[in-house]
Amino acid sequence: MGRIAAIYDWLDERTAVRSLARKGLYEAVPVRGAWFYTLGSATLVLILLQLVTGIFLTLLYVPSVTEAWASLNYLKQHDAFGSIVRGIHLWSAYILLFVIGLHMVRTFFSGSYKRPRELNWVTGVGLFVLVLGMAITGAFLPWDQAAYWTAVVVTNIPAYTPFIGSFIRALWRGGDFVGPITLSRTFGIHVWLIPAILFPLILAHLALLRKHGEFGSYINYRGAYRSREGVEVPPAPAQRPIEPPYPAVPTDELWAAPLETEDFFPFQTFKDGLVSVLLVIVVFLLAVAIGAPLEAIADPSTTSYTPVPEWFFLPLDELLLLVPQQLIPLVLVLPAGGVLLLLALPFIDRGPERNPFERPAVMVPGAFAVLFVVILTLLGSGRLFNL
Amino acid sequence: MARRDPRRLSRRQFAFLGTQAVGAVVTVLLGIPIVGFILSPIFHRQQVVWRPVGDISGVPDRQPTKFEVSFPLDEWTSANVNLAVYVVKINSQTLVFSNVCTHMQCPVRWQSDLGQFLCPCHGGLYDIAGKNIGGPPPKPLPQYVHRIDGTTLFIQNSFTESI
Repeated sequence: MGRIAAIYDWLDERTAVRSLARKGLYEAVPVRGAWFYTLGSATLVLILLQLVTGIFLTLLYVPSVTEAWASLNYLKQHDAFGSIVRGIHLWSAYILLFVIGLHMVRTFFSGSYKRPRELNWVTGVGLFVLVLGMAITGAFLPWDQAAYWTAVVVTNIPAYTPFIGSFIRALWRGGDFVGPITLSRTFGIHVWLIPAILFPLILAHLALLRKHGEFGSYINYRGAYRSREGVEVPPAPAQRPIEPPYPAVPTDELWAAPLETEDFFPFQTFKDGLVSVLLVIVVFLLAVAIGAPLEAIADPSTTSYTPVPEWFFLPLDELLLLVPQQLIPLVLVLPAGGVLLLLALPFIDRGPERNPFERPAVMVPGAFAVLFVVILTLLGSGRLFNL
Repeated sequence: MARRDPRRLSRRQFAFLGTQAVGAVVTVLLGIPIVGFILSPIFHRQQVVWRPVGDISGVPDRQPTKFEVSFPLDEWTSANVNLAVYVVKINSQTLVFSNVCTHMQCPVRWQSDLGQFLCPCHGGLYDIAGKNIGGPPPKPLPQYVHRIDGTTLFIQNSFTESI
């Protein structure tokens, strides 16, 4: 036995690392849809990119109203590599928001949130909300004009909660107005509070993924199950023995699995890696070519600056414009209701049908919701950028 | 073996309750100071001070004029923050407006071509007397607490009505 193998054995006896590696690397992944699964790993890679660049940015950034802008301005003026790091942090955040959205849309479309994967979906919705929270809090931190007015408007939105609105606003701001405590709090939320929830939730999301595996495409399942009458399953290269009933008629024998699978490593990891490295290259190029902007320092007394929201706030900003003054709380109700509906989705749509064309009751409202957000975004960008 | 009295706690039940009690003690001992810590800035009263805006005898009638006044930023920092003040004279009345929109607190500006205050964020409009007359703002433009000594205007860093 080779020395390396001996070391591996020694380690395995003490840590069970071998079974962990087996479970992690040799999971059977459905071949059909494999390219779509790269969206999940790309989301993870982009979040890790955020973690690494974010940690390094704290080596310079000072979370103080008098120093925050100045420290980033120093970075911009005197530190070319630091500027690239900040550029990567910004652009990978932008692309992350796109990719995590696509990952969700894919899961929604393929009905992969159904039993037994309801909690994969629920943890996924939680991760989506936390990533949005990171984007929102991150937008405050540069303390330039854009950041300051974003902070003012965003922290003012909860003020329209009935009864306790101004209390919630004061809680985030640490007072009636945006000031030193607002920045300290938002920094703490951005670098500690949300990550402390986000990363354990990612682990749970991945553990659940390994527990249940990918569902695959519904196309794979046509005829690929055993009925009570004893009709045989068509021969399949790999069968997952632990899939719950599909279709849903619960019988003891009725376990289904995708017909064609491949090992996660190296087949899926290669596809995952290819997509991720492409995204990382795009992020790097954008970081070098465009970088992260820094406007003039925050000035509450301005009467000439026109605040323009970050692009991911555009639908919300357009809603703020369109909602009449009597109905402003709608701006809170619509996003909150949307998140609640997303959380409830796997418990509302419980039928066994996974084919998107056979699930109009879910697909049609879902398509309308996506359309609504897209139209708001287009209206907002048209208004602000005179497109 | 003697039968256990069902009215008495078993060793297992005792340990079960004990574990929960320990958890509760830690939660309370940590929770009270942490929640108090998060809430305390809300109950901190903003330091209210008077500052001179300047001589307003030159402000023309029905022409909102902008001044900037420096106030302490408060909390721990010694830095100051500039606040915008629009002084409006209508006949003999003097109004002292902030640039804070009552919709989402964006910076309002006087548009002389419109003869109105405009909020650039969501198109809120106020007339020259600060009344919200268009767009989403739910309240009139906020006014600073102020006093006039001769021709010099003084304001406080607080509004006459909360926004």
